[in-house]
Amino acid sequence: MSRPGAEVSEVAAPSWRRACADRVAEGARFCGAYASEPGGRRRWTALFAVGAETRAVWTPVSGAALPTLVDLIPAASWDEREAHDLYEIDFDGHEPLRPLAAHPEETDAWTVPVSGEGTYDVAVGPIHAGVIESGYFRFHVVGERILLVDPRLFHKHRGLERAAEGAAAEAGLPFAQRACGACAVANSVAYALACEAALGLSLPPEARRARTLLLELERLYNHLNDIAAICAGVGFAPGNMAFAALKERAQRLNRELTGHRFLFGSVAVGASAFQLSAVESDRAGGALREIGEDAALAWRELCFAASAQARLGGVGELSREDAARLGAVGPAARASGLAIDARSASPDLWYGSAFAPAGPPIASGDVAARLELRGAELVVTLAILDELLAEPIAPAAEAAGVGAAGPLGVARVESPRGETVCAVELVGGRLARVRLRTGSYANWPALARATAGNLLPDFPLINKSFELCYACVDR
Amino acid sequence: MFVLLRHLARVRREAGLPRHSGARSLAIRHVDAGSCNACEHELAATAAPQYDLQRFGLDIVASPRHADVLLVTGPVTTRMRGALLAAYEAMPEPRRVAALGDCALGCGVLAAPRELAAPLEELLSVDIRIPGCPPSPEEIAKGILAGLDDC
Repeated sequence: MSRPGAEVSEVAAPSWRRACADRVAEGARFCGAYASEPGGRRRWTALFAVGAETRAVWTPVSGAALPTLVDLIPAASWDEREAHDLYEIDFDGHEPLRPLAAHPEETDAWTVPVSGEGTYDVAVGPIHAGVIESGYFRFHVVGERILLVDPRLFHKHRGLERAAEGAAAEAGLPFAQRACGACAVANSVAYALACEAALGLSLPPEARRARTLLLELERLYNHLNDIAAICAGVGFAPGNMAFAALKERAQRLNRELTGHRFLFGSVAVGASAFQLSAVESDRAGGALREIGEDAALAWRELCFAASAQARLGGVGELSREDAARLGAVGPAARASGLAIDARSASPDLWYGSAFAPAGPPIASGDVAARLELRGAELVVTLAILDELLAEPIAPAAEAAGVGAAGPLGVARVESPRGETVCAVELVGGRLARVRLRTGSYANWPALARATAGNLLPDFPLINKSFELCYACVDR
Repeated sequence: MFVLLRHLARVRREAGLPRHSGARSLAIRHVDAGSCNACEHELAATAAPQYDLQRFGLDIVASPRHADVLLVTGPVTTRMRGALLAAYEAMPEPRRVAALGDCALGCGVLAAPRELAAPLEELLSVDIRIPGCPPSPEEIAKGILAGLDDC
């Protein structure tokens, strides 16, 4: 059942840290914080995940600085830096509060100062050598060894969330969808569910099946792409080409089913925008089984390609403790031994309570584990798709009202890169605020952490093993 | 590995790509000026075995100094304006600019106006236009090759 709105508690600024610390002590997991200004009153909201529920705590923002959360909850670091840059909120105790979305000229203004014998900086980006999104990295190195990396993202900041403000819920969907081509379904479903939660709507089972099918189709082509990318990262061209060809087949199937290779336009707010006849779903099921068989063959070859495998172990290690502390999600978290997967607590989707995320054979948190995990998840995704396609997807009935509208709707959806959290605040049926905190956003600090101590030439490989988007971080 | 190579050979055979004729080449430098990443996925897909754009002599090169064409995706954000223009300045002449996708062409861009620098057409003179959201790998190949004929 969809819950009307989200459970919200309001606290005064002096009680802010205490209230958030209490949530964590109760076992809730921090999953984002954002500033908003509904009806001209500015406030700062933190979100906490408890099973399938998301609880919000907010505090009004006056002119004064708010107490920081970063010492209690390091995962809130980027949220506070973003709110400082885009909403001019100061955080007491967050020292130094380095810019994230703002791009000052001076390097010292946004990088961590590093000094010592033989240390120097290597600047990379924002334009990269291949066909890659724009982002800038400042590596502090000794010889070839990376001491730490300062990523500077938001080069692609388009102000999508601001641009969506004032629109009706349905009209805001394209902004969430176009935040990222590769996570378009996850972002759209998260946005649609958040709006439906705020409006007190619940969708019938057919719409849940349709959305789950689309989410898994998105995961399929992304995981195939990411396996290809890791092969490319170690220069294993046969693996790269085999999985790139499989990804292409998956995207051609996407176009057959939805008319779009990235599944754009297949999700709607308060309705279902996708259906399949018995013939179509039968054909799609057959095509996916063929892709699955070829993927299994290619995967087996990859497992026995000793020269490729030898490059993966022990590279870009992310410890379980760091993954938890920094709020990692998705394949990155699971490869480090954290069993976080929004699919296991998604009553508004089809997964069911029995869903258990796949884990790698050894959760070593390195490039090898992140690759193994994707291989294991491909099998799960193909099995889910097979089950969903066993029956046609009928057009869904209208959404039913299940409760009163609330001031805030939140949804958490598992994208190919991890849990994506969308918060929507509606005032008079119009968007007062949309916040999209994607799996990529949650994982960037963990990627930077996993990079420290590695060799500079290994960074592209480490980066590809996380395969985070820049577009849905920058928005 | 031999299984993978056999698989690759099968994919190539099934794709039935025409043989490349004529000795031509074009070096392309891609700059993402704020895209949603879909255009990047499709551009990368042109190197997949089903399309293999390299057979036409088209190559993505690492440096703008080696490039004939600057291929731009995205609506040009304020934060990418400088890097985009620096890449263009670094190119040898003659040089061409290609706009890949609807955002680069300024159609129906979703964004807060203050975060965008200016439409690509106002910053650089655009020679090759490849519309689509995103254009498919076939459309990208066709668009670049048509541009190559005009160069």
